[in-house]
Amino acid sequence: MKTTSSIISLKNVFKEYLLGDGSVFVALKNINFEIHQGEFSAIIGPSGSGKSTLMHVVGLLDKPSRGEIIINGKDVAKMNDNQTSVLRNSYVGFVFQQFNLLNKLTIKENILLPATYCKEKLDFDADQRAEMLMEKFGIISKKDSFPNKISGGQQQRVAVARALLMKPQLILADEPTGNLDHKTGNEIIDLFEELNKSENITIVMVTHEMEIAERTRRQIRILDGEIVNDNK
Amino acid sequence: MKITTEISLLLKSAWGDFRRDKVRTALTSLGITIGVLSVVLLIALGLGLKNYIEQTFESLGANLVMVMPGSGISSNGPAGMVGGGAEFDEKDVRDVRNIPNLKYVVPVYFRSIAISSADAEKIGYLMGVNEELFPLMDVKTVTGELWGKTDVGKKAKVAVLGYTIADDLFERPEDALGKTIRVESLRLKVVGIVEKTGDRETDRSAMIPYTATFGSLNPKKTFWAVYLGVPDEEMVSGVKGEAERILLKRYDKDEFSVTEQSEILKTVNQIFGIINLILIAIGSISLLVGGVGIMNIMYATVTERTREVGIRRALGATKRDILLQFLTESVVLSVFGGLIGLLLAALIVVIVRIWFPVALNLLAVVLAIGVSSAIGIFFGVFPAKKAADLSPMEAIRYE
Repeated sequence: MKTTSSIISLKNVFKEYLLGDGSVFVALKNINFEIHQGEFSAIIGPSGSGKSTLMHVVGLLDKPSRGEIIINGKDVAKMNDNQTSVLRNSYVGFVFQQFNLLNKLTIKENILLPATYCKEKLDFDADQRAEMLMEKFGIISKKDSFPNKISGGQQQRVAVARALLMKPQLILADEPTGNLDHKTGNEIIDLFEELNKSENITIVMVTHEMEIAERTRRQIRILDGEIVNDNK
Repeated sequence: MKITTEISLLLKSAWGDFRRDKVRTALTSLGITIGVLSVVLLIALGLGLKNYIEQTFESLGANLVMVMPGSGISSNGPAGMVGGGAEFDEKDVRDVRNIPNLKYVVPVYFRSIAISSADAEKIGYLMGVNEELFPLMDVKTVTGELWGKTDVGKKAKVAVLGYTIADDLFERPEDALGKTIRVESLRLKVVGIVEKTGDRETDRSAMIPYTATFGSLNPKKTFWAVYLGVPDEEMVSGVKGEAERILLKRYDKDEFSVTEQSEILKTVNQIFGIINLILIAIGSISLLVGGVGIMNIMYATVTERTREVGIRRALGATKRDILLQFLTESVVLSVFGGLIGLLLAALIVVIVRIWFPVALNLLAVVLAIGVSSAIGIFFGVFPAKKAADLSPMEAIRYE
């Protein structure tokens, strides 16, 4: 694959935490990988292996202790808080295990939330795009409902629609099926597959379920903070 | 995003939050409501007192010059109100009467004293004056008539009663007419009852010819003050200067004062300015307590909504966005409480005005809104900063 199609690349990334007893816990050790345009990948590993930490670092929610994270040729690890916020808003879309919708906002308001944090004029109509995404994901009839009034599967569809609103380069999904039953979980993965195939949307998913991971084209296996296998 | 759109979104978001938790919003705002209510009411009370005093002075007539003993009431401040000094007599009255352009000259013997009828005794004021007081103060009777110049000349034992004292001494004020009242050893026939003026002293006075006080009540035949009525406001300063020139022949400069009514009002305004400030300071304590209440709730809110902060940060909110969100909420809470306090205060003022001239002014309104906004910002900034400084990753993991 060509380097020019790289969406994000991690070079020698370490994440270390100072523990209360003065010792250092190394959550990520010398992580090196690239995510390319149109990939559908899974980061897999057991609980505590560092996969969620890796996703937070890739999603610019956390900074590495050492190493480089290159987006559009720039090392985002050196960016200030405002700059990473802007990138999170426009470049990355998050889907979480616990959906993370705001219960006091309606479904439509939840989906539109990222647009309220955009510091520049959008080149599309956010309201229309939200309507289109809700239509596409079969949740349009619930647009004025509140998250606690709809099912888990519907909530995760709302989260996916919210992640897609700003037309991000990368969708990061942290255990997106973890709070769903088997059937609904598969429906969400179907949705990811379709978005990846039909719209060439890049998706990186963290999961510990092999069955889910096997539906992606690339699996990055992580153990004790180190990448032990990457079948790119 | 345009700043107006941003503000409108922030306000909408804050208002939406409050609507979903109405009880907490109401209770949090209550502190500010009570604070603003007390400050505005205290200002209204201060203004009311000021209006009351002003009305009292205005009832004396606009073009009045008062000759008083000691330094009197001067524009130099309340300290000047301390009395002492000259005791005016009939010679002084005759002397000042020579001043050109004078319409009225009224010697005033004034004393707080027990006044009794056959059935009751009340503390009122005895005003020994001449007949010129009545046109000077625009005194009108509800029943009976005013005594005249001849009554002064023959030391007539007659009295015109203020409405309140007549009401206090008799079953109905009108019943006083023709009756006898007693002031110490002096027995006086009531010849008239005066309309209610709103001036506490006039309404509680028995106005008698000053000559009738000469004797056991006023053995030295002296007066507390001499009122000079001038036909035109422009002549006031000329009359004042001339009165000073005449009196300086008999008294030292610090033994008397010649004061215009406008000067007295200025002093009264100074006094009430200070009283108002003290009242506002007292009321501000409750505003401060309300502000601390808001800060307390906002801190609790930040902890409760840590995960929400994490979600918003993951979606691209900057620290500034989060700071503004929480700051807007505390300001909206505070201003909401302030507006309710202002409305309640206005309502109370409207009701109290039936009995007492309390008043709301622009200062009170501006203070209420301005101070409650300032409290919202001041007490909201610390919790808002706490929210903004949360690590996005830790916030989103918060259970």
